[in-house]
Amino acid sequence: MPLRPQTDALRGSLDLLVLKTLSLAPMHGWGISQRVQQISDGVLEVNQGSLYPALQRLEKAGLITSEWGTTDNNRSARYYRMTASGRRALGEELESWRRFAAGLESVLRTS
Amino acid sequence: MSWLEGSRARLRLLFGRGAAEARMEKEFDFHLDMETERLVREERLDPREARRRALVAFGGVQQHRERLRAGRGMAWFSALSLDLKLGFRMLAKYPGLAIIGGLAMAFGIWFGAVTFQMFGMLTNSTLPLPDGDRIVKIENWDSKILNEEDRALYDYQLWRTMRSIIDIGAYRNASANLVGADGTALPAAAAEITASAFRIAPERPLLGRVLEDSDERAGAVPVVLLGHDVWTRRFDSDPRIVGRTVRIGNRFATVVGVMPDGYAFPMAHHLWMPLRTNVPDVEPRQGIAITVFGRLAPGMTLGNAQAELTTIGKRLAAEHPTTHAQLEPHVFPYTQMASNNNDMAMMKMLTYVFVVALVLVVCSTVALLVFARAASRETELLVRSALGASRRRIVTQLFAEALVLAGVAAVVGLAAAQLTLTIWGEPYLKVGYGVSELPFWFDFTLSPTTVVYALALAVVGAVVAGVMPARKITGGLGAGLRAGTAGGGVSFGGVWTAVIVIQVALTVAFPSIVMLVRGESTRVAAYDFGFPVQEYLGVTLGVDGALEETLTPDSAAARARLGTSLEALRQRLEAEPGVAGVTFVDRFPGEHHVYRRLEVSLPGNPSSVVATASVDPSYFAVLQAPMIAGRGFTSSDLSPDVRVVIVDQAFADIVMGGRNPIGHRVRMRSSQMPDSIAARQPWYEIVGLVKELGVSAMAMPQRYAGLYMPATPGSQGALNMIVRGRGELLTIAPRVRELAMTVDPTLEVESITPFDQMKTSMLWFNGLWTRIIMGLAAVAVVLSLSGIYAVLSYTVARRTREIGVRVALGSSARRVITSIFKRPLIQVTLGVIAGSVLIAVGSIGVGNTTQFSGTGIGGFAPSDVVLLVAYAILMLGVCALACVVPTVRVLRVQPTEALRVE
Repeated sequence: MPLRPQTDALRGSLDLLVLKTLSLAPMHGWGISQRVQQISDGVLEVNQGSLYPALQRLEKAGLITSEWGTTDNNRSARYYRMTASGRRALGEELESWRRFAAGLESVLRTS
Repeated sequence: MSWLEGSRARLRLLFGRGAAEARMEKEFDFHLDMETERLVREERLDPREARRRALVAFGGVQQHRERLRAGRGMAWFSALSLDLKLGFRMLAKYPGLAIIGGLAMAFGIWFGAVTFQMFGMLTNSTLPLPDGDRIVKIENWDSKILNEEDRALYDYQLWRTMRSIIDIGAYRNASANLVGADGTALPAAAAEITASAFRIAPERPLLGRVLEDSDERAGAVPVVLLGHDVWTRRFDSDPRIVGRTVRIGNRFATVVGVMPDGYAFPMAHHLWMPLRTNVPDVEPRQGIAITVFGRLAPGMTLGNAQAELTTIGKRLAAEHPTTHAQLEPHVFPYTQMASNNNDMAMMKMLTYVFVVALVLVVCSTVALLVFARAASRETELLVRSALGASRRRIVTQLFAEALVLAGVAAVVGLAAAQLTLTIWGEPYLKVGYGVSELPFWFDFTLSPTTVVYALALAVVGAVVAGVMPARKITGGLGAGLRAGTAGGGVSFGGVWTAVIVIQVALTVAFPSIVMLVRGESTRVAAYDFGFPVQEYLGVTLGVDGALEETLTPDSAAARARLGTSLEALRQRLEAEPGVAGVTFVDRFPGEHHVYRRLEVSLPGNPSSVVATASVDPSYFAVLQAPMIAGRGFTSSDLSPDVRVVIVDQAFADIVMGGRNPIGHRVRMRSSQMPDSIAARQPWYEIVGLVKELGVSAMAMPQRYAGLYMPATPGSQGALNMIVRGRGELLTIAPRVRELAMTVDPTLEVESITPFDQMKTSMLWFNGLWTRIIMGLAAVAVVLSLSGIYAVLSYTVARRTREIGVRVALGSSARRVITSIFKRPLIQVTLGVIAGSVLIAVGSIGVGNTTQFSGTGIGGFAPSDVVLLVAYAILMLGVCALACVVPTVRVLRVQPTEALRVE
């Protein structure tokens, strides 16, 4: 049976990557996707469009907000910005991710 | 504040649907443009190729769109709107189902809405006044005679000191003749009322002022406040009316003001005069009859008020045990006084149960039709199911279709209900209650509660008509899928059998009700008064409210005065060229009479119930009914020592058994009367025999024996005047009013009706009911026919293959038909039997009511019974007719074709 990534885990990691990206500076969707691709080493290369449902989900959860802005070359784009609760959530998520990763690591090592 | 930002985002996404879509498209475009530019820039690709690669990297645009839409919380909404759209399309595609099912549902909703509105109006209205729901009525209830004791002036003085009810006031009806600007006197609905009424129902007068407390003091100048209607019609909207003196009965009063249009507090009044409640030395349970009203004090509830009132009641009972021991003061919402609550609550309950049952039965049949149709769409549903639609999804779709149907039906039903209420509501209640005007708070515009009720009925209907069949169908889908063929598990079960049986039973039972009502109408239409009605006018007289109370049995003087007035009126009228005769009677021919049990001086002293009338000696002469035997009444018969009566032909036939009644004697006795007292009752001698002159009421099927007693006009309630005219009758009417006013201003002419129109309102009332029940019956017939038809067509379609095999194997057509039609035939037969039982039970119930007792089999004449049996047979035939088309289809089945179906 081929190994399939857990949707929830993937979704969780995507959310984490988006939040991490936005913690540095407000950014538009394409910018986020570029940044996520860089830092995730191609994890998201499969499907850039799946970023947008994640952005909508985070916005509905109140972790990010968005507004229209202008890019350097004078194009109109939707900019996403992290909220205070998003910052808190990022801290908590990072912490729990690290715990999860460490736990997984130790399990893999023993087996 | 993540929840706040989150909620804002959610609301924006949910309600700014267009904006959210535009934003999504713009973001996608921006993303693809940026990615294309990057690829051109960094990988030096051709722009077209770069665009292609960008699209590939982005993934399925449509898929992302859907995910975003679903994330916005719109998924269920767009699914529902799709289902509703589909529902409308289905209505158009299957017009038969839409029209039959929709109209039937509309009929149920129409009936529900009309009855709900009517009952709401009668039992649960709120006064259209400030604090309308806090205005109350207070009354003393006599727990022994189970009636209201309205002589409450003494109690009123104490009630006024209550803390839980403020602005307490009282009124009494004092309708009287009002002389208008043209000098004619017409009765006006007047109230003597305390000034507090204008604090309970505050309204700025159009002219002048309202009544004030000072108007009630003894010795104050008599004043009157006019209603808008009276002012415009009787005084030509005279702007200088205030300050003028008008004549009301035999009193004069100064007009102090005019109220605006529509003001009719306390009930349906158009004239207000001060009520003097501060009467010195009033005794408990003495004085005038009043109705007491007030407003709950701020913060007080009906319960608080009742508690305080009960305390006062107990104190009064202790202080005046002889008068108050059995009196219980009650307080209740003001508008409830228009309805007798126990009876009304019972009727309301029964009607609501009936409406819900009606809607359920109607919708069950619609469900049957939906089921048969859905079954024919089984392949479509199977495909949907196979493509991953959940059972819930399919049920929702069928529910949405039924909801569309019910929604359209609700709109049609509500529109029809409003139309019905506007056209028939008011006259219906007026005829039903026998009043000329309804309380001012009766509003025939559909209330929001009624609309909500109707919509709730529609939703219930949609659930029955949509979800029930959908659950049944989807229950069989799994089996169908596994079998790899349509039609595995879907079949009609016991519920549908029950629905059809109920339908047919109702179809059979309804016409019997129509027959009952129509029978009454026919009787009324064919009713023989016994005299040429076209020559006669019936004049209902009344006496001034103030005079009425002095007409107690012991006030001989007041009676004598009334008698003199009536005699004078008779003489003046008879002097008119258009009048051929005038007489007086207590009940008009054709109305319900006073029924008395009497004993006849025959061997064994048998007793019978007869209809009695008190008549002026001239009665028979004026009605052109000469004596068949014996003599008529003379004025000397009016003496209390002379005890003579006249009987009619029905008396001779029924009571005397065909013997000549002249010379025999009768005496009255009530059924509770002990023999010792009955034996002391005086005997009356029968001196005359006359033809039948309408002592049996028009609506009654049985023939009553009539007995006439002589009475002075005005005594024994003989206040109805019959005028025989020459030529054009209606020209006499204004003269009757003028002369009555001239002779005695306190004499009110309440109504003048030509005798040939006396049947009109009753026929109208019955006709309305006949039409409603016939409508119900028609709906039941159409529904049961279409139900049977749908089930049969469905069965035939479903069993085509089986039929083919049977025919191929040599089965005869008769056997095939029998096997298919056995079930519907059993259903219809069961329905006819159930309907007949319903009629039998109903007719026994009806037969036990006084109105129909002793009339053949429970309210039905033998000819009616024959008709009903014929109808039941006809129904069987008609039901068989619904089987014709499917039968023809069965007979056309070719084995080869049938086997090719699969």
